[in-house]
Amino acid sequence: MAYTPQYYPGASHVAVNRRKHMSGDVEKLRTVSDDDLVAALGHRAPGADYPSIHPPLKEMGEPDCPVRQMVEPTPGAAAGDRVRYSQFTDSMYSAPSIPYFRSYYAAINFRGVDPGTLSGRQIVEARERDMEEQCKATIESEMTCPALAGLRGCTVHGHSLRLAEDGLMFDMLQRTHFEGGNVIEDKDQVGVPIDRKVNLGKAMSEAEAKKRTTIYRTDGVKYRDEPEVLDHVHLVHHRRTMYGYRPETAAETAPGVGAVTYKTV
Amino acid sequence: MAYKYPSEKIFVEALKAKFAGLDLSEQKVEYKRAGYIQNARKREFQAAGERVAEQRGMKQYDVNVHCGGMTLGQRQLVPYKLSTTSDIVEGDDLHYVNNPAMQQMWDDIKRTIIVGMDLAHETLEKRLGKEVTPESIAGYMEAVNHTMPGAAIVQEHMVETHPGLVDDCYVKLFTGDDELADEIDSQYVININDLFDKEGQADQIKAAMGNTTWQAVHIPTIVVRCCDGGNTSRWSAMQIGMSFIAAYNMCAGEAAVADLAFAAKHAAAVQMAEMLPARRARSPNEPGGLSFGYCADMCQTQRIAPDDPVRCTLEVVATGTMLYDQIWLGSYMSGGVGFTQYATAAYTNDVLDDFTYYGYDYALNKYGEDGTAPNDLATATDLATEVTLNAMECYEDYPTLLEDHFGGSQRAGVMAAASACTTGIATGNAQVALSGWYMSMYLHKEGWGRLGFFGYDLQDQCGATNVCSYQGDEGCCLELRGANYPNYAMNVGHQGEYAGITQSAHSGNHDAYCCNPLIKVTFADPSLVFDFSHTRKEYARGAMRTFRPAGERSLVIPAGI
Repeated sequence: MAYTPQYYPGASHVAVNRRKHMSGDVEKLRTVSDDDLVAALGHRAPGADYPSIHPPLKEMGEPDCPVRQMVEPTPGAAAGDRVRYSQFTDSMYSAPSIPYFRSYYAAINFRGVDPGTLSGRQIVEARERDMEEQCKATIESEMTCPALAGLRGCTVHGHSLRLAEDGLMFDMLQRTHFEGGNVIEDKDQVGVPIDRKVNLGKAMSEAEAKKRTTIYRTDGVKYRDEPEVLDHVHLVHHRRTMYGYRPETAAETAPGVGAVTYKTV
Repeated sequence: MAYKYPSEKIFVEALKAKFAGLDLSEQKVEYKRAGYIQNARKREFQAAGERVAEQRGMKQYDVNVHCGGMTLGQRQLVPYKLSTTSDIVEGDDLHYVNNPAMQQMWDDIKRTIIVGMDLAHETLEKRLGKEVTPESIAGYMEAVNHTMPGAAIVQEHMVETHPGLVDDCYVKLFTGDDELADEIDSQYVININDLFDKEGQADQIKAAMGNTTWQAVHIPTIVVRCCDGGNTSRWSAMQIGMSFIAAYNMCAGEAAVADLAFAAKHAAAVQMAEMLPARRARSPNEPGGLSFGYCADMCQTQRIAPDDPVRCTLEVVATGTMLYDQIWLGSYMSGGVGFTQYATAAYTNDVLDDFTYYGYDYALNKYGEDGTAPNDLATATDLATEVTLNAMECYEDYPTLLEDHFGGSQRAGVMAAASACTTGIATGNAQVALSGWYMSMYLHKEGWGRLGFFGYDLQDQCGATNVCSYQGDEGCCLELRGANYPNYAMNVGHQGEYAGITQSAHSGNHDAYCCNPLIKVTFADPSLVFDFSHTRKEYARGAMRTFRPAGERSLVIPAGI
């Protein structure tokens, strides 16, 4: 699947990182084995077959229709997998990713995904093997710091709580801990203990997190110092307000709003 | 108003009280995971749950059921300071079930109806040839205050309600006719001149009312606790009809009584809230039909402190968030307890106050006096951008503040409310203020890459489109929108703020009322159980268990229960 790289305004490295996340141009930083990922997700036992909710599409004798001819099923849909979820929480303290950009990353770069975006969590629902593919790419990439982000199916308010003394994002259910300098996960997404220690690798240093982050903060790149993004927002506001019912007539500029250049990776 | 934003953030005092001894700006902390035991109210709940289980032989509240034994309190369970007061209370005590003041606020609205007297007087004079004089009106007021609580007045053998159970029920009269008001026994009169004695408010209200005369009816709290809000007009109309019959020596069955009843029930009746469509299935005088303009007018801070438009505005926010979020959306529409956490963010710990006073100071310096800033998108953009950026920076600079508003929906509501209320006070225009709300939502979402829960993707992303259109199905002035306005109907953390935004525009204009002067006068009455001029203080009294509500049943139940 080849998508055109995405466009976003702004000159700072935060804006650059946002363009990278949207475009799927992210660096792989660690490896998590398939079985470890399956254990951490908690939907099935590692090594077990994918439970299915219908026979493989090829065996179903589906009716001939133009949509089916145009859209190739994802592997999970073709096999009849259940729809399952992965959900991430990202700390406000310069975690590399943020919910909306996780959603943009998923929706732009993967097929058959259903991202949901909230303040403390970002969920992707998809056929199980498709979800695992997207989740694995995410958790292994620079979008995820194991200390500042985590797989959390519930109790996600840690995103806005102060960090623990060791730098871990607060987690009521204590799904992860430091061990030998690495972040170890020994509970699944909803806090049920698992029979293994999933090694998520080393936490990013504070400097590295700030380098890779996509959030504007006063102790990093200040939102005030990114006028092009602010003007982009002002333009969106103007156009939705003035032309919401007549979008075809919308102006490209708004009074008092500076020029906005949308850049790509 | 000359105002200068203080050198220290207004919310810092509350944070110091909540996070005693800690550095408010430190991003890391030792989590002690002390559990529920750290909090007196949770300990009380656990003990009470054990007693309940013992008495009824069936388990009830047990903290150990929470999350498989991982109890509440894995972080610090902090108290809440009611904004602008010095009262620090437990969060649990801001759930309306635990707070009798909150219950009474809603009871006082639900049990109220305003009924015009002029139609009835015309019927009496023109159809029946009766003479209506200040003396006859006083006789009627005596009769209606006897019978409104549930007493018989023209029957010989009837059951009645116990006066001690319905002592909060009464009827008062108000009029734009000063001469008439002076001639009626003062115990029955809401005195507009005395209550609205600042900034010429009495003249504004009387000019709007003309020489009309109205009765503010408050049926017993205990009645609306058993029946829905639609009962208020019926209970009221029945007793009003009986009182006219008694006071004016009418035939109880003559056809003219129907005219009086029709006036009391329909033609001259002003409900507090409109009936909702069938799919929501609520009668009049239920919170889903309460317009933001009426909600703002019920709050009385503008009457007593018009020189502080921020305070006036945020008292309305407190009124609205409790009613719309905690009771309407939180219970009527969804059930459960979580919505309290959204609402409290808007009226505790001086956070919304800080953000709004910051904006007020900025607006005064840039645009001058209240209500004088240009009514255009540029003003909304400027003010909402500055207020939102400042608020985001506060959350970033004070990790304890971010922790206090640990949900994005809380932060979104508070920041957008501060932006919009600042804009409303500066421009005196609720639509421009509403535009500031959406501007803030967009900025927040883009800056942090997150906003509130899913609903914020709906109304806060498409809502700007409805700001400048009044066409049917495309928009409406904010004063007349309400909890059931399309797109507003499902989303916590908005409706109370919208009521506050409505107030902000009229506080900016230094108006005596926002939408309906009759509502404003009715809730100015000091005889009401809940004091609508000090909403947050009243909530604090409720939380501290010093508020005495109406509608209690202790007269007729065994002692010691």
